[in-house]
Amino acid sequence: MMLKHILVLSAYLFSIGIYGLITSRNMVRALMCLELILNAVNINFVTFSDFFDSRQLKGNIFSIFVIAIAAAEAAIGSAIVSSIYRNRKSTRINQSTLLNK
Amino acid sequence: MDLPGPIHDFLLVFLGSGLILGGLGVVLLTNPIYSAFSLGLVLVCISLFYILSNSHFVAAAQLLIYVGAINVLILFAVMFMNGSEYYKDFNLWTIGNGLTSLVCTSILVSLITTILDTSWYGIIWTTRSNQIIEQDLISNSQQIGIHLATDFFFPFEFISIILLVALIGAIAMARQ
Repeated sequence: MMLKHILVLSAYLFSIGIYGLITSRNMVRALMCLELILNAVNINFVTFSDFFDSRQLKGNIFSIFVIAIAAAEAAIGSAIVSSIYRNRKSTRINQSTLLNK
Repeated sequence: MDLPGPIHDFLLVFLGSGLILGGLGVVLLTNPIYSAFSLGLVLVCISLFYILSNSHFVAAAQLLIYVGAINVLILFAVMFMNGSEYYKDFNLWTIGNGLTSLVCTSILVSLITTILDTSWYGIIWTTRSNQIIEQDLISNSQQIGIHLATDFFFPFEFISIILLVALIGAIAMARQ
């Protein structure tokens, strides 16, 4: 019963993250929703590792790698956003003709 | 964690409601600084979830890296952008928003029906009989350390190279 509730919570976070990622007009908000998606997946990994794999903790170790990759991606994403802002003076996503000039 | 039943349930309900409200706050709040702070609330609630699931190392890593580094980085990125253009941005409900909410609700409903239809008792029973039940002589962090140093040695070294390359790339891009 405990497992089901935590999995439903992580499914909810995942779908909220996908909705926010697609419908956000602000690039930094899209980065935040991407972090929500990655955290939902991490909750799943850690919960399964706690319930099924208490000896080897493979889910825990994989979630550590996911956290590290998310850190690298957040750094690169914010560098991209700041250089786009420096060039264009606005961060709206629907200006998708950025490669045009 | 070995808490008595009602306290465990109460903590789960508390953290779950924090997660639900924080997730809604990230997506629906118009001011981006408010949504960055509610993302911080979500990350702290997830870290407390990990403590309840006996994963103390991942909880500490989540607090340090996600809340301490990534959330601060996102706050810097938010404050770096010009704030005056966001108040004109009232959330206009377009057709794309409605279609996306339909798709996301269908994803959520299909996931929830899959979760509630799986017989977790059968899976727990078969995997519990496969594990050798021994005493908890080693703590959670020590087990993770042992596995990272022996079984997962190559991914561990490789991810340090990935972090180095990502950092150099981010600095090179943000510098000009």
